[in-house]
Amino acid sequence: MVAVKDTVEQVAGLEKYEHGFVTEIEQEFAPKGLDRDTVAFISRKKDEPEWMLAWRLEAFERWSAMESPEWARVSFPPIDYQDATYYAAPKTGNGPASLDEVDPELLKTYEKLGIPLREQEVLAGVTGAPRYAVDAVFDSVSVVTTFKKELAEAGVIFCSMSEAVREHPELVRKYLGTVVPVTDNFFACLNSAVFSDGSFVYVPPGVRCPMELSTYFRINAAGSGQFERTLIIADKGAYVSYLEGCTAPMRDENQLHAAVVELVALEDAEIKYSTVQNWYPGDPETGKGGIYNFVTKRADCRGDRSRVSWTQVETGSAITWKYPSCVLRGRDSVGEFYSIAITNGRQQADTGTKMIHLGEGTRSRIISKGISAGRSSNTYRGLVSAHPKAKGARNFTQCDSLLIGKTCSAHTVPYIEARNGACTFEHEATTTRLSEDQLFYAQQRGLSEEEAVQLLVNGFVRDVLQELPMEFAVEAQKLVAISLEGSVG
Amino acid sequence: MNLDEAIRLRDPTRLPSRRDEDWRWTDLRGLLRTLPEPSQPLPTDAIGPGPFDGLAGEVLIVANGSGPEEIRIGEGETRTLVLRHISRGDGAHTSRLRIDVGPSARLTLLESHEGGGAGLSLLGVDLQLGADSACERLVVADMDPDAVAVVELDARLAAGAGLSQTLLTTGARRQRFETRVRHPGQGAQVRLDGVYVLRERRHADLTSSVRHEGPGGRTDQLARGMVDDQARAVFQGRIIVQEGADGTDARMAHNALILSDRAEVDARPELEIYADDVACAHGATVGALDDEVLFYMRQRGLPEGEARSLLVASFLGEVIDRVGSPEAAERMRSWLQARIGAGD
Repeated sequence: MVAVKDTVEQVAGLEKYEHGFVTEIEQEFAPKGLDRDTVAFISRKKDEPEWMLAWRLEAFERWSAMESPEWARVSFPPIDYQDATYYAAPKTGNGPASLDEVDPELLKTYEKLGIPLREQEVLAGVTGAPRYAVDAVFDSVSVVTTFKKELAEAGVIFCSMSEAVREHPELVRKYLGTVVPVTDNFFACLNSAVFSDGSFVYVPPGVRCPMELSTYFRINAAGSGQFERTLIIADKGAYVSYLEGCTAPMRDENQLHAAVVELVALEDAEIKYSTVQNWYPGDPETGKGGIYNFVTKRADCRGDRSRVSWTQVETGSAITWKYPSCVLRGRDSVGEFYSIAITNGRQQADTGTKMIHLGEGTRSRIISKGISAGRSSNTYRGLVSAHPKAKGARNFTQCDSLLIGKTCSAHTVPYIEARNGACTFEHEATTTRLSEDQLFYAQQRGLSEEEAVQLLVNGFVRDVLQELPMEFAVEAQKLVAISLEGSVG
Repeated sequence: MNLDEAIRLRDPTRLPSRRDEDWRWTDLRGLLRTLPEPSQPLPTDAIGPGPFDGLAGEVLIVANGSGPEEIRIGEGETRTLVLRHISRGDGAHTSRLRIDVGPSARLTLLESHEGGGAGLSLLGVDLQLGADSACERLVVADMDPDAVAVVELDARLAAGAGLSQTLLTTGARRQRFETRVRHPGQGAQVRLDGVYVLRERRHADLTSSVRHEGPGGRTDQLARGMVDDQARAVFQGRIIVQEGADGTDARMAHNALILSDRAEVDARPELEIYADDVACAHGATVGALDDEVLFYMRQRGLPEGEARSLLVASFLGEVIDRVGSPEAAERMRSWLQARIGAGD
């Protein structure tokens, strides 16, 4: 039980938010404010072709006419979009050719965050240990992508979005914005105009990606936002598992993170997308600071028998507004959503999923576990719909909420739309607090109250943790414990 | 958005529309481009029999919006009332009835909604339940296919009071039953049930919200229905547990059968919880009749139509089993059986 011991040690030795440091590094910024020039500046910085700039500018025009949505159960003062910087990058000239050229401060940052950027480090240790390739995004740029060569041998393209726009324009043009249209929503539209970096993955037909791919997002600069854009395409019969992690320094100001993630699964392809989101949640006492995490994530199961699974562990952010969804277009395609959302302090989360059944025989499964503590608010909001052609569509949804303390709140808002006579939808939801009997039993066996809570919570979220890749599951388990620290007593 | 104002001012822009989140599946603005003229008075002497005839001495009639405006049930009294809402013609009208049930009183309200013509109606009941009183409201709605109707109940309970409601409806062109309950906890109990049987192009919307304001309250909700042809059913249930309403026990279930490829069921069971010592749960299912069960019944010699109607009747009948008043339950059961039919 190394993992358990590790967890206990980690928890014991932790500050409230361990990733809250700032990296002192020379950075380059776009001028403050947002107008056509800012959009052009970003595009120029990234050395983008003309079509990309035109695409961005059109998005900007559309966004200027849109209004910030207000339907979610979150509240925050209006955001001044002119009072932020939309591009921040470490000064590294034309981008490092190898790790040796990367600013040592940056390397130290990632070391501190526990992200292996050196391939040999990943390989160190026991043979057969799981390996994963990393794309590290620092504010607006990708600083390094590892294992590119080995992946290229398998035919897999794994690079930063900026690089993909330059090197693989045909693929980017074919798929970008086809899952999340430019004007899909206010934040997606903003992202389309000013997106900086993110990952691009293309897995060719029949290829099983030889290792886990991962991206690590880090916001560092003050007064800036992060607008990453990720596009993953699994061609016919391909398989890829992708992990995403995020952290940010502790600051009194709120920073905006408005990302767009698009997944395309063609015939018989499978994409597994896992997120461990640990943005700075703001001060638990005053609610000051923290990240606004307004993210649009959507998968298009375009091909028959394709399969997409979203797994998320949401512990950070002052406000989370996020609904990873699946459009089940292909016949017999499958969508899955496994989520743990934990709010503590003054955090607000409004998260869930949409399963849109368009094709015949499509199936989906939603398991959502929400935990609220402190003075936080946690909402599950979801949609399951079957269109008239989706004969034989099936959905199973289970959302459970756990309340710890008298000042937090938990909400469940599922929408169900069945438009044909051959679909079967089942939905169940419960809201409870930790069972006193179970707590009593655990404490009787010698556990402290905090340990007992951790044990019960771990049991509560186990269904979802099991869906995470191994390395992430251990980390997620730690996070769950850390996020709930101080919620008892 | 306010239906009452829309009708009074004849202003269609005030009608609720799909842009109003709570009306997204029951759009009235998209349906009615103009508002009808006010309804003509309806003489009550030529009105035929109603579904609850003979079960109560007192029959109150609200005809095209006009009828009694206030009813009081004195402390400790036990009464059964028949309340018939009858609408004819293609006009628009509203009515609002206030019912006060005194402490420890018992009221059985047998309510029917009949006719409707091609008009628009907004019928509301304000119900005040005194301490330890009880009210069972049983509603049967058999409206014309072209009617557009919204029926509201605003109920406010005192400690120890009980409210039980069972709605049966066959829908209309667009029809909504909206029940809003303020629940004080403190031993008060609420049961909100409903059944819809919808065919052709009919629509019915069962919307409810129960706000638990004090500790120790119970709410139990069961809605079931079937949709056939191109009918559309909507279920929206919201349970709110306010801060301090500890010990609340709230359960909600909605189960729908879709019997045709062009029918639709939309559901939104919501929980909004601000207290931690609660047990709240909801379940929602949508599906077709089980083929294997049908096969089994046919194997035993039942014609398919009969097997189907038996299955539907037993599925919906479970809601009637919860009705407290036996005579009314019997009446409702045969009413429902006639609407389900013997199958085809």
